[in-house]
Amino acid sequence: MNYRHAPGFGRTSLVVGAALLATAATTFAAASTSATTAPKRLVGTFLITKGTNVRGAPHGSYFRMVDPGGSTTKGKFFSNPDSRAINKTFTLISPGTAGGLKTGSFQPAPSTAFDAKGDSRAKSIILPTNFTGINFSVATESTDAQTKIKVSAPSITVLKGKLSGDLRAFAANWNNLSFNQGSPKPNGTRPGLTAPVTGTYNAKTHAYVLTWASEIIGGPFNDFTGVWHLTGTFRAK
Amino acid sequence: MPVLSGQSSPVPGPRRWAIGVIAAIGVALIVLPFVFSMFARAPKGASMIAGFRPYMTTARLDGNQREIRQINSGVHEATTTAASALASGSGHAAGSLAARLPDVAAFGSQWGPIDTSMTNMLTTIQSNLGNYDAVAALPKFTLFPWFFVIPGIIVLIIVLIAVVRPRLWSAARWVLIALGIGLILAPVAFQMFSRAPAGGRMVKAFQTIETTANVQSIQGDFGTIASGQGAIQLELVPSLRSAGLTDAQIAARFPGIVRLDNNWVGILNDLTPMIGAMSDNVGNYQAVAALPPFALFPWFFVLPGLLIGGLAFAAGPRGRRDQPNLVPVRNRPAAEGES
Repeated sequence: MNYRHAPGFGRTSLVVGAALLATAATTFAAASTSATTAPKRLVGTFLITKGTNVRGAPHGSYFRMVDPGGSTTKGKFFSNPDSRAINKTFTLISPGTAGGLKTGSFQPAPSTAFDAKGDSRAKSIILPTNFTGINFSVATESTDAQTKIKVSAPSITVLKGKLSGDLRAFAANWNNLSFNQGSPKPNGTRPGLTAPVTGTYNAKTHAYVLTWASEIIGGPFNDFTGVWHLTGTFRAK
Repeated sequence: MPVLSGQSSPVPGPRRWAIGVIAAIGVALIVLPFVFSMFARAPKGASMIAGFRPYMTTARLDGNQREIRQINSGVHEATTTAASALASGSGHAAGSLAARLPDVAAFGSQWGPIDTSMTNMLTTIQSNLGNYDAVAALPKFTLFPWFFVIPGIIVLIIVLIAVVRPRLWSAARWVLIALGIGLILAPVAFQMFSRAPAGGRMVKAFQTIETTANVQSIQGDFGTIASGQGAIQLELVPSLRSAGLTDAQIAARFPGIVRLDNNWVGILNDLTPMIGAMSDNVGNYQAVAALPPFALFPWFFVLPGLLIGGLAFAAGPRGRRDQPNLVPVRNRPAAEGES
């Protein structure tokens, strides 16, 4: 059979085929890019590794407080004489009864948040820790105890191993007082040295590091800034 | 009903110039709070008065002064007798405290200026307790702008009535006179002539206390005290034990140190919220300080009251000499052409 080869047909098919392939490849690539660029919510518990001293330096989870006018990296930092750390500007923290910070739900303080001495009674996220003679602790409440603003539950997302999040519900309790220590603040702003939640996450080992800073607005520590460093492993819900 | 003739109002009405001035005073009373931003500042004043209330008592301030003395006593013992005891126990010279316990020594050198600053501040606050009580006894600050606006609105309504219905003027003027008297008496009733100047004295006295710089300085001092007390409790006292002293001996020889350590939480419980109140009220204080001088406040009522009352009295009703056309038509002899 003698087929007549239509002039230019093969070349046209090739071009059209190549174009289709290119389009399909682009679409697939775009789809796969979109899949990897969509942040994934990590809902569960960020288990906290206890803060310790390793070769004289703080290791694990800790908290620092920057004096007004200071910097989150250079200080000047408030010195907590009761800290277990060798460098007293670090206050080492230990996991609470829930093992750490939950995302997607709240971990409120007990209805009687303080004892007669002013020690915080919240112990779900971290254990109450001595800060200049009085125990402080942290809690996440649906209504921020300091500002009385309704806030969302803690949320952390991961994208390409980088963590970000919204911890506006995070608050420290000490000496019958509550200090919002979230980022952003309950009203959604980031005043002063307040820095976003950042960190790293290893999807294989579930190891994480979370850091943020939150300037205290109002009260005796007005304009001081809490710097939080939590590390440990994430346990999905 | 008598029929009145004539081009001008046939009933006894107010003198126009007087009613014009009264209207202007009414407008001024309404505008005054806006000019001085009273609607924004007065609530801040109310917040400040409420925020200071728990701390402005003789018992509380006496307690604060006592706590400062306790810290002073503890620091003094730590850097003198306790340091000597440590030195003699270890064979070191007393001057070696800085080498052995640098945090305690540092606190000792920092404490003097802090003591002076905090004692002076508490003394200033305490000496203004009466002034605070006087201001707190005034009507609520949030009401102050309305004390001007409401009389101003009443004045304007009465003026409007007098213009639209001149025959009501004779009654309306008495309302204005009563309002004027009310404005004159209000400061007397609220004892503003004594209380407002007391408030002025408090605002002046707090000028150097309620500033961001001073509050931050106190916050810094608080950090120094907290660290210093920690150093005494967690470094010095254990060193004394290591030097062979029992707790009973420490208590007997260094009662100031033991009292400071035992009362430290109480000191924190007392001083921390006070520092918080001072910090939270810096903006409120500045709003209050930006108001006109407190001593003038009673006169803001008395002067408009005198003017309104006096002008209403002087405004009439105009006499017959001023009003030639006030004779009712039916009482006049019929003019030519009238039937």
